[in-house]
Amino acid sequence: MDLMRPSRFVSLSALVVVLLLLAVGTAAPQSAPAGPARLAVTEATLDNGLRVLVQEDPRNPIVAVQIFYRVGSRNELPGATGLAHFLEHMMFKGTPTRGRGQISRLIEQNGGRDNAFTTKDVTGYYVNIAADRLDLVLGVEADRMRNLLLDAGEIDSERQVVMEERRSRIDDDPEGVIYEAMSSLAYVAHPYRAPIIGWMADIARINRGELRAFYDTYYQPNNAILVIAGDVKADAALAMVRRHFGPIPRGATPPPMTAVEPPQADERRLVLRKEDAQLPVVNIAWHVPNYTSPDAAALEVLSTLLSEGRSSRLYRRLVYEKRMALGAGGEYSYTSLDPTLFWFYATLLPGQSPEAMEQALLAEVEQLKREPVPTEELERARNQIEAAFVWQQDSVFSRASVLGRYELLGSWRLLDDFLPKLRAVTAADLQRVAQRYFVVEHKNVSVLLPAPAAAAAGATGSR
Amino acid sequence: MSRPGRGRLLAALVLAVVLAAGGEAAVPLAHRETLPNGAVLLVAERPAIPIVVVRVSMAGGAVRDPGDGAGLANLTAELLTRGTAHRSGPELDRAIEFVGGGLDAGAGRDGVTVTLSVLKKDLPLGLDLLGEVLREPTFPAEEMTRKVADIQASLRRAEQSPDTVAGRAIGPMMFPGHPYGRPAAGTVESVGKLTRDQVVAFHRLYYRPDGASIVVVGDVTTAEIRQALLQRLGGWTAPATPLAAVPRPAISVPAQSRTITRDLSQTTVLLGRPSIRQDDPEYYPLAVATYVLGGGSASRLYTRVREEKGLAYSVYAGAQPGRYGASYIVSLQTRTDAVAEAVRLVREEMARMGREPIAAAELDLAKSFLIGSFPLRLDTSGKLAGFLGAVEDNGLGLDYPERYKERIGRVTVADVQRVAAKYLDPATFSSVMVGK
Repeated sequence: MDLMRPSRFVSLSALVVVLLLLAVGTAAPQSAPAGPARLAVTEATLDNGLRVLVQEDPRNPIVAVQIFYRVGSRNELPGATGLAHFLEHMMFKGTPTRGRGQISRLIEQNGGRDNAFTTKDVTGYYVNIAADRLDLVLGVEADRMRNLLLDAGEIDSERQVVMEERRSRIDDDPEGVIYEAMSSLAYVAHPYRAPIIGWMADIARINRGELRAFYDTYYQPNNAILVIAGDVKADAALAMVRRHFGPIPRGATPPPMTAVEPPQADERRLVLRKEDAQLPVVNIAWHVPNYTSPDAAALEVLSTLLSEGRSSRLYRRLVYEKRMALGAGGEYSYTSLDPTLFWFYATLLPGQSPEAMEQALLAEVEQLKREPVPTEELERARNQIEAAFVWQQDSVFSRASVLGRYELLGSWRLLDDFLPKLRAVTAADLQRVAQRYFVVEHKNVSVLLPAPAAAAAGATGSR
Repeated sequence: MSRPGRGRLLAALVLAVVLAAGGEAAVPLAHRETLPNGAVLLVAERPAIPIVVVRVSMAGGAVRDPGDGAGLANLTAELLTRGTAHRSGPELDRAIEFVGGGLDAGAGRDGVTVTLSVLKKDLPLGLDLLGEVLREPTFPAEEMTRKVADIQASLRRAEQSPDTVAGRAIGPMMFPGHPYGRPAAGTVESVGKLTRDQVVAFHRLYYRPDGASIVVVGDVTTAEIRQALLQRLGGWTAPATPLAAVPRPAISVPAQSRTITRDLSQTTVLLGRPSIRQDDPEYYPLAVATYVLGGGSASRLYTRVREEKGLAYSVYAGAQPGRYGASYIVSLQTRTDAVAEAVRLVREEMARMGREPIAAAELDLAKSFLIGSFPLRLDTSGKLAGFLGAVEDNGLGLDYPERYKERIGRVTVADVQRVAAKYLDPATFSSVMVGK
């Protein structure tokens, strides 16, 4: 009875992925007016390069232990997509001292829950457990950082499991298929064009040598971030970390991911017909920068203003007033490692035309460019973001995730800049970023139609 | 390894918190008192973070739907926040969302919950809005037209989810003739026939303080929240008509099977039967049996079907205890050509639970996990509020965590085999397959 549903993290449904990124974009800087001071973080870098963050939080007798490897589907090559995710599965299949399934068994035996996730940017493993079991968890993580078996028989058996996962998440889910197709449409050079779970043919083909090489390249202490949050003492926790991870030698520095998406020349479009789809979906995705841009804070506020709650702009206009959509929003991944997409999406009510919906979404975009948003809307979006910061602190799991995510971007201290940047966003900023990025040279449109497939090309979309 | 979540399906079948719980010490989880109007107030003070969750639970769940009005409870809950005597729906949305809060109502099988989530500084506003939607909803006709269309569209959209399709199909097979067997959100047809008068009457009868629980978790003191609630809900009194008893569903029904054809690459398989509630002494051995059979990544189903054979990404077994009855579901998804083998394996493992005693090591592992993982269930304000509400609504008592720990600790290998033979026999399970 897993309470955590981290498997959602590899889901390719637009909403889920973007919501994850939104969720990890929320944290608690010291200056949050409504919130308490951010809990102190103790940081260390081991001689072998392992980054360690510890946050003491004695409210519950539990600890969240999360290890992030700086590798995701963005580090994969065509023909071998899905490697990062496949390897994540294999991380539960044993080391010389802990056989297949033994790691999870050991965690459960100690009252803990464990799981893992793969995103475009990162692969993470986590355990929530009674705080006095920290030492045990660190032993497990240190072991599988470098001692994975990667048994050939286990690889072939797990390959079938990953293929089943792909069937449920993508091939049998029309909204999974359209998300996948849209990514391949919007990116031509950058690996964000491939699905996190990989193309089916690649999953079927990937061999042990490739998994081993990928593991040896990226699963090194100098490519990992370990976050511990909960009812622990930082000094004691760091001593345990040093004991378990200290003996692991530093590995070679992994190669940088060098692909750069070229500027898009003109609008791109695709239509996907799926017989099992019930309602049409219209997506418009624009290329936008990530957190490194001065415009990122405005894009983040814009996403909240468009999507968050029943008073959000797209819900109010398209769902409530015009009665065109069952759901609608605009999503942005502030913490994406590379430049990303800003998605406008709508699921249509029966009887509504996708063409009219596209025009309605574009009308919203034009209005954002033309008119400054009213103060009340901007204030509401800011308040929603700030409240989410405070709520996020209630969970040690969320705290650890956010620290890890920001450390991945360069430093957990970036968190302290997040709220001040968002507070500084003005209506003129929103208008300016809409004018700058929501232009035809950045625009990708995808439409999902409930109809017999024109050809049986559904699963691979536009590739 | 990305184990799949299974929440949606379970929640769709029986809305109930699964109370696998142990407990650290006999420190009360919450203060409990009965208010003058009959509602039970539970308060857990958590001062560290300036947030407050208020969860009000009342009788108006889908079990109260009239026979020809499936979806009435769901529609009533959806409309609760769509207008009050003082504010329109959009005004309510703007008021709560302007302060970054949330106010939502949702009906499950057994009851309806209205949840307020708000920063401490905005608690007075949040409670004002909560009081309004509970006591003075206006159910505007125009909002009802909108909501009916939205629910119908959502029901249609859910047809593209094989999990949901299978879950809807197996309900009436597990609970023939009982409200638990009806679709909680109704059908496109049944929702289309609901009237505003029905909604108003449903609200009047079932959104009542007697039998209700009000759970408050967060940065408050019992004294301040009691006063704040009485101020807003003081005049809230029970209607004269007493609440009708809900019949208990039969625990043993004929097994049936059904195949729903869909052009998909996988087949979704659900096996289900009625089961026992948490107040049944056999619930504890069944919880252990469930963990051994299909409760985690050390389980027999996970090991045999997923790890050894690679036949499924998702395979599990679990009980969904409710207030009036319970269901038990075994579920898997596998590629079309592997269905027969996967189902045979699953049925064999279910039968083996009752045929052979489990190993002592399996018993120990199950106990360690079920007892040891308890604190993880209460580590956020939202989770604690849900847990307290479920404990109260299902009549389990605030000592439930302690009792659970003690009862699980006493389960023997023989107990597990006995209840497994009774409740996990595959011949007693109905089945639904959705796929080619």
